[in-house]
Amino acid sequence: MPKITLTHVTKQWGNFIGVNDLNLEIEDGAFVTLLGSSGCGKTTTLRMIAGLETPTHGEIRFDDKIMFSDEKNINVPAAKREVGFLFQNYALWPHMTVTQNIAFGLETLKWKKPEITERVKEMLKTLRIEQFADRYPAELSGGQQQRVAIARTLAPKPKVLFMDEPLSNLDAKLRGEMRTELKRLHRDMGATFVYVTHDQLEAMTLSSKICLMNEGVLQQYAPPLTVYNRPSNLFVADFVGNPSMNIVDAKAEKKDAKTAAVDVLGKRVTFHANEEFDLPDGGVCLGIRPEFLFISENGAFEGSAYSTLPAGMETTVKIKVGEEILSAVMFGAIDYETDAKLRYDITGDNILIFDRGTTRCIASGSIVVG
Amino acid sequence: MSKNGSEGRKSGQKLLYRAKSYFSVQANVLIVLFAVLLLVATAYPMFSVIRSSLTAGQMEAMMYNSLFSTKLKTGDFTWLNFKMLLTRGTGMMADWSVMQFWKPLWNSLRMSTYACLIAILIGGTIAFLITRTDIRCKKFFSSVFIFPYIMPSWTLALVWKNVFANSNVGTGVVGMLESLTGICVPAWVVYGIFPCSIVMGIHYAPFAYILIGGTLRNMDANLEEAATILQAGRGRILRKITIPIVMPALFSTVLLVFSSTMASYAVPVFVGSPANFFVLSTRLRSLYEGGIYTGQAYVMTIALILFGMILLGLNTWFTGKRKSFTTVTGKSGQVSYIKIGKFNYVITVILVIFLFLISIFPIISFALESMVAKQGDYSTLTLKYWLSRTEISGYAVAVGNGILFNRNILNALWGSIKLSLIVSLIVGSCGVLIGYAVARKRGTKLAGLVSGLAFFPYLVPSMAFGAIFLAVASKLTFLRGTLLLLIIVGGIKYLPFATRSGTNAMMQLSGEIEEAALIVGASWPKRMLRILFPIQKSAFISGYLLPFVSCMRELSLFVLLTKSGTLITTLLSYFDEKAVNQMSNGINLLIVIIVLLVNFTTNKLTGASIDKGVGGN
Repeated sequence: MPKITLTHVTKQWGNFIGVNDLNLEIEDGAFVTLLGSSGCGKTTTLRMIAGLETPTHGEIRFDDKIMFSDEKNINVPAAKREVGFLFQNYALWPHMTVTQNIAFGLETLKWKKPEITERVKEMLKTLRIEQFADRYPAELSGGQQQRVAIARTLAPKPKVLFMDEPLSNLDAKLRGEMRTELKRLHRDMGATFVYVTHDQLEAMTLSSKICLMNEGVLQQYAPPLTVYNRPSNLFVADFVGNPSMNIVDAKAEKKDAKTAAVDVLGKRVTFHANEEFDLPDGGVCLGIRPEFLFISENGAFEGSAYSTLPAGMETTVKIKVGEEILSAVMFGAIDYETDAKLRYDITGDNILIFDRGTTRCIASGSIVVG
Repeated sequence: MSKNGSEGRKSGQKLLYRAKSYFSVQANVLIVLFAVLLLVATAYPMFSVIRSSLTAGQMEAMMYNSLFSTKLKTGDFTWLNFKMLLTRGTGMMADWSVMQFWKPLWNSLRMSTYACLIAILIGGTIAFLITRTDIRCKKFFSSVFIFPYIMPSWTLALVWKNVFANSNVGTGVVGMLESLTGICVPAWVVYGIFPCSIVMGIHYAPFAYILIGGTLRNMDANLEEAATILQAGRGRILRKITIPIVMPALFSTVLLVFSSTMASYAVPVFVGSPANFFVLSTRLRSLYEGGIYTGQAYVMTIALILFGMILLGLNTWFTGKRKSFTTVTGKSGQVSYIKIGKFNYVITVILVIFLFLISIFPIISFALESMVAKQGDYSTLTLKYWLSRTEISGYAVAVGNGILFNRNILNALWGSIKLSLIVSLIVGSCGVLIGYAVARKRGTKLAGLVSGLAFFPYLVPSMAFGAIFLAVASKLTFLRGTLLLLIIVGGIKYLPFATRSGTNAMMQLSGEIEEAALIVGASWPKRMLRILFPIQKSAFISGYLLPFVSCMRELSLFVLLTKSGTLITTLLSYFDEKAVNQMSNGINLLIVIIVLLVNFTTNKLTGASIDKGVGGN
């Protein structure tokens, strides 16, 4: 089971840069998601690793074996990289039955007939599609097609499995089910998974590491909770989490190595950082996750209820403070009258402070009023 | 009593109400209207073909009377047309059926098979190269490769003759090859099944390219990539994935090319007949000529139609099978081309040369031949056949001034343009409406009937079609020799093209697009003109373009129905028969240029193109 290493990988189409100087190391057995909005270069990255797309520059290695290098003029074709690939639209061959679709790869590998039959049976059973063995893809529902596609990809026992938004064509319920199964599948196979998605929830819940990209540039490559708790910059902070993180303007003045006086949301507070930090010249803003805004009668901050969205288990409250609208998430079902005055606190020790100029995250810490 | 009466009235009202609500939907009105129109337009001619096939012609009556001692008069009912043409006779006429039917049938089948193979081989290869590899000059190839299809089919036959004719063969006219190099190719290269198949194959190769290329372009590249990932080699992918998936397109190509070749007349006449190579369509003409063996001619027509229907049936049976190909279309934006590396240059050069020969060279050849005073002698170049303002002499018939100042030629040209314009306007609009009605009522029996009937004229050979309407005009005398008759014939004959593109375009539009306009209260004409038409503009305009082009270059359909001076093609055929070589080449050049110009400007202005009309993308 190989480790995949990308060094300075760049893909250009004319003047358009699809992927810019990407460095990435995918550990053996990892479940890595490439996350980003459409057109950010995540699919291109995946296709370059799989060998379906040729990078303009850089080097791709599986363990020590070079798969691509523009300097050394090496380009191992996709067929020789021994990987699995699950396509967004499944790409099932319409003229073959489910069985034929699954057996195709094994026949190519010159497996013996009985072994092929055995393996196809096994795959049909694993993915619970035995009853569709003799159907054509057009006669299956989206979820069933999805399973066939997975079976076809897994049949030759690939050590690396690439998936390009495999769940995006399914309805919400089925998507949830398939997520659970994919995670189990990863555990059972012990293979390396590289997974492309634009759904941050999918990335959060599935992966061992998230690679977040924007306009061809890597933004952050870290485990999901790190990405959530300590986003490297404003883009990541805003992209991950639902509802999004509240980003509010602030004026800060350094007091000592770990504290600063901050004017935020009409109040002067003290920011106690978890580590030493320096303030930039260009000004800062605070990043506050919705769950850190706590509404209570004697809260230190003031605002009004702009809109309340109860969802049963939790309630999202949109709080209007001056011109800004903040999101707060409260446990349980609460309902505020529109425009009612309410008070809230900023809690927790994971309030983030960002450099307005570079958008980088400077420090995390807690806020004390007064 | 009164109770029954009121109940009857009630059910009558109910029926009336149901009819009213049915016909308040425009698609229903259209589908019923076209079902009736098409039934009349196909059933009546079919009926008259069958009736005529059971009627003794002038010569046939005499023939049967002497052979079978019958007492038939011209116009009498008889089964003998079938017996005579299809079964072995006795005595002097023993070989009649072999000569007139079975041998030409065998030739037709052979020629069509070869033509299909050539068309698919050439068209398919070029389609594959253009859609799947990184070959150079794609744009140039795809625009120039259409030329042989846009040009009249006989142009290539004429070029073939212009090039390969030599002093050892036939009339001994010296062709380009001999006059330039002194090489005399053997007779079988010049005339017979070899040139017929090749010329037909090349003429329809663009057709194969359009259909196969369209499927390849629409085909999700992921399907092939999925096989690559599973470590299948290029050959295996081609055999197991690509070819099976383009199979329906291949079958459509076979259907269209085979039936077109079976029915083609001009090419076998130009490069077949001189070597006594006869096919069904040329035999049909000779049987029909002078109206003497009309009964047997119509028996032959029935045979040709039957062949078309069998092919069509095979096609629908195949594409309607369980392994439906509906999921073929995908939307994979990222297509990576196969790198053909060091062969790129070689293949590009070969293609350029090949396309030059079949697409550009004919035009040059016509220009040259229309300007040489003595055939084969290129030192006698002159512009007088184009520019002379006085009568040109030296021919067996009076030809008039140079082409550009010749009243007859210009009149015929105008006649052709007028006819083509009117036909394409009518046919194109019908195509849009039929497409709309069929798409909205898809799945219903009526929709199936209408689209089937609209395809039917394609299966009837042009020559036979002309013959049928000659018979119709002999009953409805007010039609005889009029423009209206030509419009009707052209309209029905070219309907399949327009219907095809209209239906394809409409099928791609979901009903919701129209419903969104319906909800805001847009009337039906407004929905058609402001919403549906603009969205699929280029596809619809292609539905106008193809009938125009086809009509402009059509000969065999009209040749029986009008005087030689009415249309430019019939005039061309007249000049060709009378060996007015420079004029016929010049007129040919004119037709080719006009057709190419119309295609080019329409394409630039609207994005419509012949390929879209044929059903490609």
